[in-house]
Amino acid sequence: MNAPEARDNLEMVERIVAASTRDLSLCNVGAFFVIWGLFGGSVDLLFDLIRHGVLPATALWAEAPFLVIAIVASVFYGRRLDRSKDRFTFLHREFLNVLWVTLGVAIVATVGAWRVFPGFASGAIWTVASSIVLFFIAVHGNRSALIGGLVLIASLVAANFMRGVEGYVLAAGFFIGYAGFGLTEILSRD
Amino acid sequence: MDELLLSKVRLGIVAELLASEWASFSALAQAAQTTAGNLGAHLAKLVDAGYIEEEKTFVDRRPQSRYRLTPRGRKSFIAHAREMQQLLLKTEVRS
Repeated sequence: MNAPEARDNLEMVERIVAASTRDLSLCNVGAFFVIWGLFGGSVDLLFDLIRHGVLPATALWAEAPFLVIAIVASVFYGRRLDRSKDRFTFLHREFLNVLWVTLGVAIVATVGAWRVFPGFASGAIWTVASSIVLFFIAVHGNRSALIGGLVLIASLVAANFMRGVEGYVLAAGFFIGYAGFGLTEILSRD
Repeated sequence: MDELLLSKVRLGIVAELLASEWASFSALAQAAQTTAGNLGAHLAKLVDAGYIEEEKTFVDRRPQSRYRLTPRGRKSFIAHAREMQQLLLKTEVRS
């Protein structure tokens, strides 16, 4: 091998590796974000509707089957990301690790420490956790995820200043930011 | 230099697998821009040398061949890339 050939080969390797480490395509798991976005938003929405007396407290039970659907969908789409694609990059593995760790910590914080985080504090924790996931995707070049993450954070700050309607505002953040991101991923599928 | 990796197609396959846990035959075919027969022959050589592993699985009831880089393949690639870099350095020093 001579020097020009070596340079040519090294450049090819660099190009391929750079492309692989940028590829965090999530178009076949977009529904995961839609389902969790709708679930997260509906919980916040329901809390505010109950607080304002629009719905009875028992209406919260309506979330139970939705939660089961969301958990089943998470397992399904986690497996789908691992199985049905043409390639599974280390970036996909990193994304799944960030997703499970973030959601896991949020569950422990909101379910295990409900006295520490009363009322809409738990909703706010879910907003923060979900925005971390979207910002992780965003740093790998996904503009929709960046917008989704910013919408979630904006809803958090807005909720702080809009007393009495925190649930509605946080719900809007979830519907637009999280579910909206999932929808754009589904629509971006080839 | 590693004789197996002197082929640009085989080097491209290893590079494709460097940042992936696995890649399917169709993903590698798309990346290598070569015919299925040619790719199959190159993949067989890399499998025989222990550089990559082949795994047969089913996705939506359709068979899929997946390939992973082995630690041996990774080590060989690093050594090969280092030698190419040294060759370039030597040439630059001389000129």
